[in-house]
Amino acid sequence: MICAGIDAGSRTIKMVLLDSDSGKVLGRGLSDQGVEQSSLAQSLFESILNETGIVRDEVRRVVATGYGRNAVEFADTTITEITCHARGVRHLAPATATIVDIGGEDSKLIRLDGNGKVRDFAMNDRCAAGTGRFLEVVAERLATSLDDLGAMAARSRTPAAISSMCVVFAETEIIGLLAAHTPREDIAAGVQAAIAARVAGMAGRKVTVPIVFTGGVALVSGMKGALESVLEQPVEIAPDPQMTGALGAALLAANSLDHSPFLGVD
Amino acid sequence: MTEAPRQLTLEEWDRRYEQLDQAGLIQPRYGGRLSRHLHDGDYRLAKLRYDNSPAALRLWNFLLTEEDRLREARECGKRVVGTMKDLGTVPVIAYSFSNLVAFYPDGAWWIPCVMELSAGLLEIADSLGIDESFCPVRAMLGAFVTRCHFPVPDLLVCSAGAVCDDFSAIAQRLEDLGHRILWWEVPHRPVPEPNEVSVLLPGGLPAPERQVDLVKSELLRVKEALEALAGTSLDETALHAGIKKANEIRRCLAELRRLVYTAQCCPMPALEMLIAEMLAIHYCSDRDECLRVLEALLSEVRRRIASGVGVLGADAARVFWVNPVADLRAMNLLEACGGRICGTEYLFTHALDAIPQDRPPMEALAATALADPMAGSSRQRAERICRDIGEFGAEAVVVSRIPGASHCALEGWTIQEVVRSKMDIPILEIEVPPVADAAGPGLRTRLEALVETVKRRRRT
Repeated sequence: MICAGIDAGSRTIKMVLLDSDSGKVLGRGLSDQGVEQSSLAQSLFESILNETGIVRDEVRRVVATGYGRNAVEFADTTITEITCHARGVRHLAPATATIVDIGGEDSKLIRLDGNGKVRDFAMNDRCAAGTGRFLEVVAERLATSLDDLGAMAARSRTPAAISSMCVVFAETEIIGLLAAHTPREDIAAGVQAAIAARVAGMAGRKVTVPIVFTGGVALVSGMKGALESVLEQPVEIAPDPQMTGALGAALLAANSLDHSPFLGVD
Repeated sequence: MTEAPRQLTLEEWDRRYEQLDQAGLIQPRYGGRLSRHLHDGDYRLAKLRYDNSPAALRLWNFLLTEEDRLREARECGKRVVGTMKDLGTVPVIAYSFSNLVAFYPDGAWWIPCVMELSAGLLEIADSLGIDESFCPVRAMLGAFVTRCHFPVPDLLVCSAGAVCDDFSAIAQRLEDLGHRILWWEVPHRPVPEPNEVSVLLPGGLPAPERQVDLVKSELLRVKEALEALAGTSLDETALHAGIKKANEIRRCLAELRRLVYTAQCCPMPALEMLIAEMLAIHYCSDRDECLRVLEALLSEVRRRIASGVGVLGADAARVFWVNPVADLRAMNLLEACGGRICGTEYLFTHALDAIPQDRPPMEALAATALADPMAGSSRQRAERICRDIGEFGAEAVVVSRIPGASHCALEGWTIQEVVRSKMDIPILEIEVPPVADAAGPGLRTRLEALVETVKRRRRT
């Protein structure tokens, strides 16, 4: 049987089609998020169905997650991204104790118990300073792409200190740093360190290893190192980190079916 | 007209009111349709969901007519006392006089929520230099300036010291505006030294006797000021009677909390319980009626429990809630997300504990004031929270940060760490602004995730 998981995030929509009997991912894809959230999710779903040659009726259950989950009208149910990320990571790396997820417009730290279930979690709720949006703003200001920002940061010798809690004010700080001829590399590295510090703030004084890094920001080179530096612990990037929430949603969809031979009951 | 317990919108309450009225519902003189308060600008009411019992209707009407009651009291010749940053001590003294009525100007912190920012109180506070880096209780400054929400008191009494820095700053600005304030000090409550003479406070915490004596001397100054205002002295018998009456309310609330928070099926929604608990502080300016309102609520809760019915499903996640919310809608939201309240710590546990009646009254009141959770360490507060979590059987904790409130920044981590280490239940910190509509989706995700976490843990 086939199940679908849709992570309707703030910046992108991610989708996974899963064979609930074998646990094999049959299809995956992502598209930009927008105003017409429902139709965008529908289009992505249809395009993945087309690519994989699967017909809609074969998909037994659809679980939506993410900030736009309630806009996914064709979903059978919704589950929060906290639970879905935990489920996805548990599938990929069962020993994980802590998940750091940095998405487009939020970041979260999820603590798992010995069974891989959520013990508790924290989410940033103050500003975009601990999120991927911050990186986008900075990349634009530094006249580079998000893809190249990490490489730029890697060339830094003295990361700049970015102190503001607010992206708008941080941008002002960056303008000031540029005016003071601070190398762009140092600014990029400073921003990565600031995001990592914001996330570490959610962890408090204790963070348990193994730590797995998910979300689109995990794809930005240098962010893993920035996190390791502030957490003072090794951090592993999840395979296909942007898709973890969608994978978890698909797994939870499979778990909710009567049979789920390889997954067990969640 | 008994109806199965459920939550109603304001519109649905109007229809229910019609039926109840036709069936001969007996109401107090402040009774009536809930929707009439919309005409006063209380727009938030249209977005809340309410318990459908006549007892809840009475509770809401009692709360929303306090201003009328204060004005009537003044017209009847009573003197009005504003008791600020005082969660339950000075009102006990004030109500021991027959010609004084006390109220809680700090309650103005809910006006921006209830009136959906239309009263402009926060903007007035901004203009007076008290901006959003302070707790939303700064709305009180605006209420004093507009004089639209309560009569200007004949006497303002405010505690200071080891209580709330934000409130102290705000009240000092109020004094700058020409409102004279009688300040009294609540000192920090240290853990007694090994050989120090100590006193056991209500709630079970020890404190050095010298600190209780200090608070007692401060409260004696307040008592003298109240005597001067009332034009009569207050003897021990009258004060004893006042404490006894306060304890009747506290006992009623304690029983209400015990029943609601431990019931298998939640018999009274979180919002009505929040309003009820707040009555412990201020009595809504009528102590006797306050008791009758709470007794009606208690009676409804008993009836529902006996019938095995409630307002929420029996599988609702049992959540302990720390700190009051600036936006009342957050209480509805928790329930919409599949949770229910099983225990609270709204920063005034000392106003819920019985005042000792076996001690001289001023000493008993001093001990009660010193039991204020803010007067001691955050760790002590967290330990009380853990104790209450155990008592009420909560499965998760929400620490609700008050935006701008300095104490929240200090205590949040301590509470989380202590709860994590002692209780092994999920704990979530959120921030609820005065009007949380824009933050609604984010809050919903967090609360839904907490409920999911609780329910998945139950399966293990």
